[in-house]
Amino acid sequence: MIESMLVFGLVNSAVLMLISLGFSLTFGLSGVANFSHGGIYLLAGYLAFFLFRTLGLPYFIAVIITVIVTALLGATIYKLVVIRVRGIALNEVIATFAIGISILELFRWLGFITYEFSLPYMLRGRLTLIETTLDYQRLLIILVAFLLAVFLWVFTHRTRIGLALLGMAQDEYTALSVGIDSDWAATYSFALGGAFAAIAAVMILPLGIININIGYEVLLIALAVTVLGGLESTKGLILGCIILGYAQIFTSTFFAPHWKEAVYLAAILIVLAVKPSGLLGKFKELEERV
Amino acid sequence: MLDVKNLMVFYENALAVNDLNLDVKKGEIVGVFGSNSAGKTTLMNTVAGLTLHLKYRELRKGGQRITIVGQQIFEGEEISNLSPSDRVKKGIVLCRERHPVFRDLSVEENLQLGGFLIKDQSKVQESIDLVYSIFPPLTKLKTRKAGLCSGGEQEMIAIGMALVARPKLLLLDEPLLGLSPVMQAIVVQALKDIRSLEVTVLLTEQYARPIMPHIDRGFIIENGTLIMSGTQKELMDNPEVMSAYFGM
Repeated sequence: MIESMLVFGLVNSAVLMLISLGFSLTFGLSGVANFSHGGIYLLAGYLAFFLFRTLGLPYFIAVIITVIVTALLGATIYKLVVIRVRGIALNEVIATFAIGISILELFRWLGFITYEFSLPYMLRGRLTLIETTLDYQRLLIILVAFLLAVFLWVFTHRTRIGLALLGMAQDEYTALSVGIDSDWAATYSFALGGAFAAIAAVMILPLGIININIGYEVLLIALAVTVLGGLESTKGLILGCIILGYAQIFTSTFFAPHWKEAVYLAAILIVLAVKPSGLLGKFKELEERV
Repeated sequence: MLDVKNLMVFYENALAVNDLNLDVKKGEIVGVFGSNSAGKTTLMNTVAGLTLHLKYRELRKGGQRITIVGQQIFEGEEISNLSPSDRVKKGIVLCRERHPVFRDLSVEENLQLGGFLIKDQSKVQESIDLVYSIFPPLTKLKTRKAGLCSGGEQEMIAIGMALVARPKLLLLDEPLLGLSPVMQAIVVQALKDIRSLEVTVLLTEQYARPIMPHIDRGFIIENGTLIMSGTQKELMDNPEVMSAYFGM
């Protein structure tokens, strides 16, 4: 049992990480908490389903199109809506949350509530790891979560654009004075957040059926992990994912599976009460944000 | 090169810069001197476009009302409505006061960011090497986080960053603020190197003594209003200027 807890805790942590990377990235780079993350995530799931099942495109192509579309969607959300309320934290939250709910409830209204929506596994097969059977999809999730974290580091520290985004996050006026445009940077970070949400969706959704409530759950997860780990801290994000990931597996093994959901909320409450800046967070803006 | 005509900047109803006329000719080093709250930083930020950016930002969120009136002409072109990045493209680069750096990035990364708008990486590297030759102490700090550097080192990084952007007109806002005399000497020495690069400089300072010998012309402002201008010699011969800004 310990073995399977270890393995599935890791899988769970990777799932949480994939889900929250996009949210945390957008927040870290632009300072805007994008509460439409869950909506984008679910939209990516349905879009991939539509491209793959209805249009019959190869799955790989469907995934790439999905990622590009959600990236554009993220950029559009910033350009059309968030740009108008930028700088007022509460309005940012209300605006993005409204967009997220609109997307989710639009799907409910359109009747996407049946059980036929699911995405295929990317890889079939399974292997046995320390006495636990693990399928390739879950293995792939761990791998992709790891690769995305590496990609993110390389992107922000080794490329011109990534450095510029980091610079903008650290000191807006200095970034402006060397010619980095703040709206450009924020648009870029929203696009990245959207793309990451889509990658998470196509990796994780194959594990179950696509269901509208997942959208809300995703937002809750992203929020819990970022609050727990500390905003703008990648190490904190990873730590937060591991803690929450294992805590969930622990509670669902020793108590009951439905306690899993309570773990997120408990984590948010405890962290906000004890250390509002998060475990490894550098900033204390959290009270204002959440 | 730069002509500022009848510039007025209001923050709500407070007048920060009042009907200011100022010109900088190619190849000059021009100083703007004034005490705290004289409007030096507002002037610099306005020429660099930051005030305009702030104005739009405040407008969006219904905050402070900022009004900018007057003309800013750079190389014969009206630049009043250009964004900060467009002005950097035209060659106006500002190094803000209090040695602003990207604190979580290494010194090298900071300098690289200075060349953000320059597509040719070899040119950026060339400029970075040039900065290291102007500020030798930075060579040893390449991988250190800029936030952990001392104030003087951060000033060098900040000026270096602005230089990597290949300015035609470099705006230095209080480059000597809070630096030790040794650091001040390094920065003043760098000013000479910058002049030899054929970069025109407009700088501000509260205390004129260390910088005065190196400028061509100077302007003195008080409460946002220009009260005197002249060549270096004219200013240095004026007893009032001497007592107010030289402490003599």
